[in-house]
Amino acid sequence: MPEPVEAYREIADRFTAYAEAHIPGAKNLRITAMNRIHGGASRETYSVDIAYEDATGPKTRGLILRKDPPDSLIDTERRIEFAAIRTAFGKADIPAPEALFLETDPGPLGAPFFVMGRIEDGLALNPFRIEDVEPHRADVGRAFFRHLGAIASLDIDGAPIQDETDTPPADGCWKRELDYWANEIETNAREPQPVAQAAIRYLRRNPPPPAQKLSLVHGDYRSGNFLHDGHGSINAILDWEMAHIGDPYEDLAWATDLLWCGNDTERAAGFLPWEEAIATWQEASGCTFDPAAFEWWSLFAHLKGLGIWITSARAFADGKNDDPILAWSGWFTHCAHELMLASRLARKHGVEI
Amino acid sequence: MSDIGMILQRIGAKLVTDVAPKLEGDYSAGHASMSGMMSVMAGEMWDKQADLLIHEVTRLEALLSTGGVKVENAQPESFRISDLTAKRNELAALLVDLQAELEERDDEEARALNEQVWGHLLATSAARMPSPPVFAGADEEDA
Repeated sequence: MPEPVEAYREIADRFTAYAEAHIPGAKNLRITAMNRIHGGASRETYSVDIAYEDATGPKTRGLILRKDPPDSLIDTERRIEFAAIRTAFGKADIPAPEALFLETDPGPLGAPFFVMGRIEDGLALNPFRIEDVEPHRADVGRAFFRHLGAIASLDIDGAPIQDETDTPPADGCWKRELDYWANEIETNAREPQPVAQAAIRYLRRNPPPPAQKLSLVHGDYRSGNFLHDGHGSINAILDWEMAHIGDPYEDLAWATDLLWCGNDTERAAGFLPWEEAIATWQEASGCTFDPAAFEWWSLFAHLKGLGIWITSARAFADGKNDDPILAWSGWFTHCAHELMLASRLARKHGVEI
Repeated sequence: MSDIGMILQRIGAKLVTDVAPKLEGDYSAGHASMSGMMSVMAGEMWDKQADLLIHEVTRLEALLSTGGVKVENAQPESFRISDLTAKRNELAALLVDLQAELEERDDEEARALNEQVWGHLLATSAARMPSPPVFAGADEEDA
């Protein structure tokens, strides 16, 4: 197996030149380690260690480089992710990484990219193996719901995210999201989707209450998208590429979706008893829990999942991206969300297995 | 040897437990692991896919008939998976339209048929669900 830096020599050389030019006062910058991180097939993610000198002496730093794939047609997501991280960084104790550079010119690395400070000593958690976090499950859960509420509590007036995305009316958040994902499903489905189509009709006929507030919505806040320190604390919240301004219930419902809970229905997100989880979120967010809103948004979360998996399957089938994780998403997680949606909607019609 | 399901499951297990750990630290380790898990899933599905599709086609045809939807050539061209899938998709598209119509009606007959449609969608979703994957834990990865 080649040495990690050798495996990515071309991008490493190009990034070396870029980083030296963009870090104030940096000289003799070199990359001492570079690895591509698995997962998140929508963007190539590299962990990079750099060393350089400046006027105060030698320096080392860990970075995360997120580069668009060569066939990427969507440049707004990268700008939004960068803006969302900047909105959350350093606020309300949210462990967002530090956003360092956003490069929209494909020249330097062959595709647009951005760079964040790497948060050290973080452990990933497989959402299908939540038990790996034991014996700190409850502590991680408290941090999980506290940070989720804190994101919803941020003042978005004048925040970077507001410059990159629209701000819907409080009674229009649900429709904007439903329209978006319904269109993704319609556009990308390779087979008829009777469960998804029935869900779209149901959600349109039964809208939720208006958002209690407009907030930064992470968009993919869940187990698997944070790092923890192995002692009960969360030290990084990752993958902000689906961030937008909307209803904080969207994040609460996605974070507690059964897919990310290790099939644990007793504990919210597989971490905490529901009552404690909701109380923690309420306290941190300033929102009041509304079962009607949660019911709509949690059904929507299953549908949004289907939208993501259908889009993944399309990218894989069309040969745009041959990462097997897209085939896995288009198969296993699609089946899981379709079954969840069918079970809940069938029950509303008096049908159960 | 014609036991294709067994072959796929064994290849998948080999990728997950033998190949992927040797690639630890390289991006391709994730590819090997994912490919292995899906090979195991494919082995399981290979055995039952034709049965699932034939049941779906039969049930869809019955629901459409009850709903007064005329279906030309309800039989698939053959029992190849591709032909069964094409026929299932053709009928499923008609079911989407039928169910949307039933939801617009306010009569007992429509409600009763919509219940049957939901029974079919739920049973189909449950039948298609692959067995949960077995992910290697930290201790097994270290071994």
